[in-house]
Amino acid sequence: MNTVNVLIVEDTITESDALVSVLKQNDFNIVGVANTLKSALNLFYNEKIDIAIIDIFLDERPDGIAFAETINAIPNAAKPFIFLTSSTDRTIFGRAKLTHPYSYLIKPFNELEILYTIERALEKFYDQNDAFLSDDENLVIGNDNLFIKKGKSLKKVHTNDIIYIEVEEKYCNIITEKEKFVILISLVKILELLDPNKFYRTHRNFIVNLQKVEEIVPGDNLIILSGNHKATLSEKYKDITKKIRTLK
Amino acid sequence: MCVVTKKAFLLIFTLLPLFLFSQNEKDISAFKKVIKSKTHKFNTNRYFSKAQRFFIEDEWDSTLLYTMKELSVRKKDRELIDYCHFLRGLSFYEKEVFEEAEKEFAEISNTFELNNNVKVILGAIALEEEEFRKAITYFKEIDTITTQDLLGIKKGNLKHNIGLCYLHLEEYEEAELYLKNSVVLHEQQKDTLELISSYGNMANLYYQQYKDKLAIPYFEKAYQLAKTTNDFVSKQNTAENMAVVEENRKNLSKALQHRKEFEQWKDSVNDQNDIWRTAQEEKKYAINEKEKEVVVLQAENKVKQAERNTFLYSAIVLLLLLVASAYFYREKVKSNKIINAQKEDLDELNATKDKLFSIVSHDLRSSVNAIKTSNKKLVNTLETENLKEVNNLLQNNSAIVNGAYNLLDNLLNWALLQTKQSYFEIAKLHLFHTAEHVAYNYKAILADKELSFENNISKSDVVFADQESLKIILRNLIDNAIKFSNPKGKITLYTQNNNDEFCNLVIEDEGIGMDNSTREELLKETVLLSKKKHENIIGTGLGLQLCKSMIKKNNGKFSIKSELGKGTKMIISLPKKPTQ
Repeated sequence: MNTVNVLIVEDTITESDALVSVLKQNDFNIVGVANTLKSALNLFYNEKIDIAIIDIFLDERPDGIAFAETINAIPNAAKPFIFLTSSTDRTIFGRAKLTHPYSYLIKPFNELEILYTIERALEKFYDQNDAFLSDDENLVIGNDNLFIKKGKSLKKVHTNDIIYIEVEEKYCNIITEKEKFVILISLVKILELLDPNKFYRTHRNFIVNLQKVEEIVPGDNLIILSGNHKATLSEKYKDITKKIRTLK
Repeated sequence: MCVVTKKAFLLIFTLLPLFLFSQNEKDISAFKKVIKSKTHKFNTNRYFSKAQRFFIEDEWDSTLLYTMKELSVRKKDRELIDYCHFLRGLSFYEKEVFEEAEKEFAEISNTFELNNNVKVILGAIALEEEEFRKAITYFKEIDTITTQDLLGIKKGNLKHNIGLCYLHLEEYEEAELYLKNSVVLHEQQKDTLELISSYGNMANLYYQQYKDKLAIPYFEKAYQLAKTTNDFVSKQNTAENMAVVEENRKNLSKALQHRKEFEQWKDSVNDQNDIWRTAQEEKKYAINEKEKEVVVLQAENKVKQAERNTFLYSAIVLLLLLVASAYFYREKVKSNKIINAQKEDLDELNATKDKLFSIVSHDLRSSVNAIKTSNKKLVNTLETENLKEVNNLLQNNSAIVNGAYNLLDNLLNWALLQTKQSYFEIAKLHLFHTAEHVAYNYKAILADKELSFENNISKSDVVFADQESLKIILRNLIDNAIKFSNPKGKITLYTQNNNDEFCNLVIEDEGIGMDNSTREELLKETVLLSKKKHENIIGTGLGLQLCKSMIKKNNGKFSIKSELGKGTKMIISLPKKPTQ
């Protein structure tokens, strides 16, 4: 299990300290705190980040907006970001709005508000609105990661670490090498959101990560996965063999 | 139609029939009436209407002039042209230019409605030119028409004329027949002058045939009849005839008497002609005078009209000016009214602002003062190292600061709302989470007052509102609920979702409540701030004013249900669907 990587762009040290401590308490990983536009861009290019929290005003200039505009413009590198501001001024907020922030937060804010806002930004960025809000689901599926809400804290799972997913009654068990997550979501919905080149359905109740397949035993309708996990293979989904071959 | 009559002169034994075409008054009007009514429809043609008028007034030359103008203008419809030629023919005839008259009549088309009259006049012309046969042909043609509709032509006169023609041709039998006929018709119609003429001709007829016995009674009849009239010519002719007759009968004294009468009447005729000529001259003179007068009047009229126009235009201009000034005056009064109303509003608002300032600064001053004294105490307590007391004081301080902060926050939001500076975006909101986030800040205070707090809002309740303003509203209402709750009381947040358009968010406390007048005071659409009743509890009222304004801006509704001593329900209704 991994933590969510957060980049903080904030020039007021007391503010950033408060933010860092709240996020750390909630198991977020702070990749860095930038206090200028330049350092923010440096961190953005050099670190792997999942979400950025940006103060609109850096040193009295709306550099936060410039930063947002820049990361919006980088192809294939777009990340969700949140604007943080004490300014309720209309004109500057209108400008900030043009960068399509995934959410925004008005100072002062409390712990609940910052966590909620991060969740909303992730949902919105991956176009899975209200995924964290409902009682049933607490999972957002990104291209490379799953974001799973466990209690108040937010966890990140690399899709590459997933070995297989198995249905158990209403729940889905997501099994990684080290952990097991139980999530109330339908297998069909997960399948829709996962990369079809990596994941394949082998049975009514099973989705496997093709990279984790070690052996297929058609006679026993069995797939052996890494870590000695086993998945069932049904007749209907037997053309997995073709997929494996093409991969090799 | 001109009536053709003739008078026969009997001079010694010779008959000298002269054909005078005169018209008596009555016939003039009859015939001219016909002309007038028939040509009335052409009155729009300027020249023709003039020609027609002059014709009626016997101004033959003018008639000729205007008909010529009318004809020369351009081709008109056939009927109008016919009338022009007709009037011209008549005028020429009256002027005794018979050749021209005949030419004009020849121009008239066959379909002309007064063709009969044309023929009668042509007959008369032939008679005048002593072409009796031709005359007879014309007259007989008309004579054979039996209809009454002869447009002013008198049958009696017609027969008379035919008879006369025969008389001239010395065809006595035919002449006798027609003349007798005409006598009968004239007697019937009691046309005295024509009767005289007829009698005279009858007499001449017989006289020429030496039927004296038959002739003489007619002469006498004519003579007696002529005596009763005013027509000098008739009197003169009959008298002369009688003189000739008496002379032939060798009754010289009587003949002389008649001859004298004849002379007398002849003079009278001449006199009458002189008088008539003088009258004509006078008339002409009068007409000239009149015309001059008309010219003068016309000129005067023109001047008057110009004057009148000037008056009219200036009146219009003045009226316009009046209207414009009235309009502007009214506008000015209106704007003055508006300005006055605005001034009053502004004054009121200014007063409110001043009051707000004083209350706020008073509150802040007391808060800061409280902290000041508390801090002094704190320093003293710290020296004694009474940590429990220090903790208490710090808690107290933070409560005071919290209150002051809330006040300042409201003040800021109020200012932003009034200046419309704040960012405002209506979006889909999850009520539960928003309420949770706001309530989170009150955890410590709730615990301190030992109040229980429940957020029973359903997670599925969604409204359309601006997030920040909703948070401000909730903050104020929860703050109020805490303020007015008794220790160990309970505050509950829940929704009533029984309406398609609005979701009701209720903040319920079990605190001191309020009476109805206070409730109504709070709900009033007024910017006036409520007075402090409870020195320690009730604030400026700014918070609730802010809530009301913001709920309104979010297209929501606000109501309060409260019972004194039992608690209060603050109800916010927010739209479930985005409004336009």
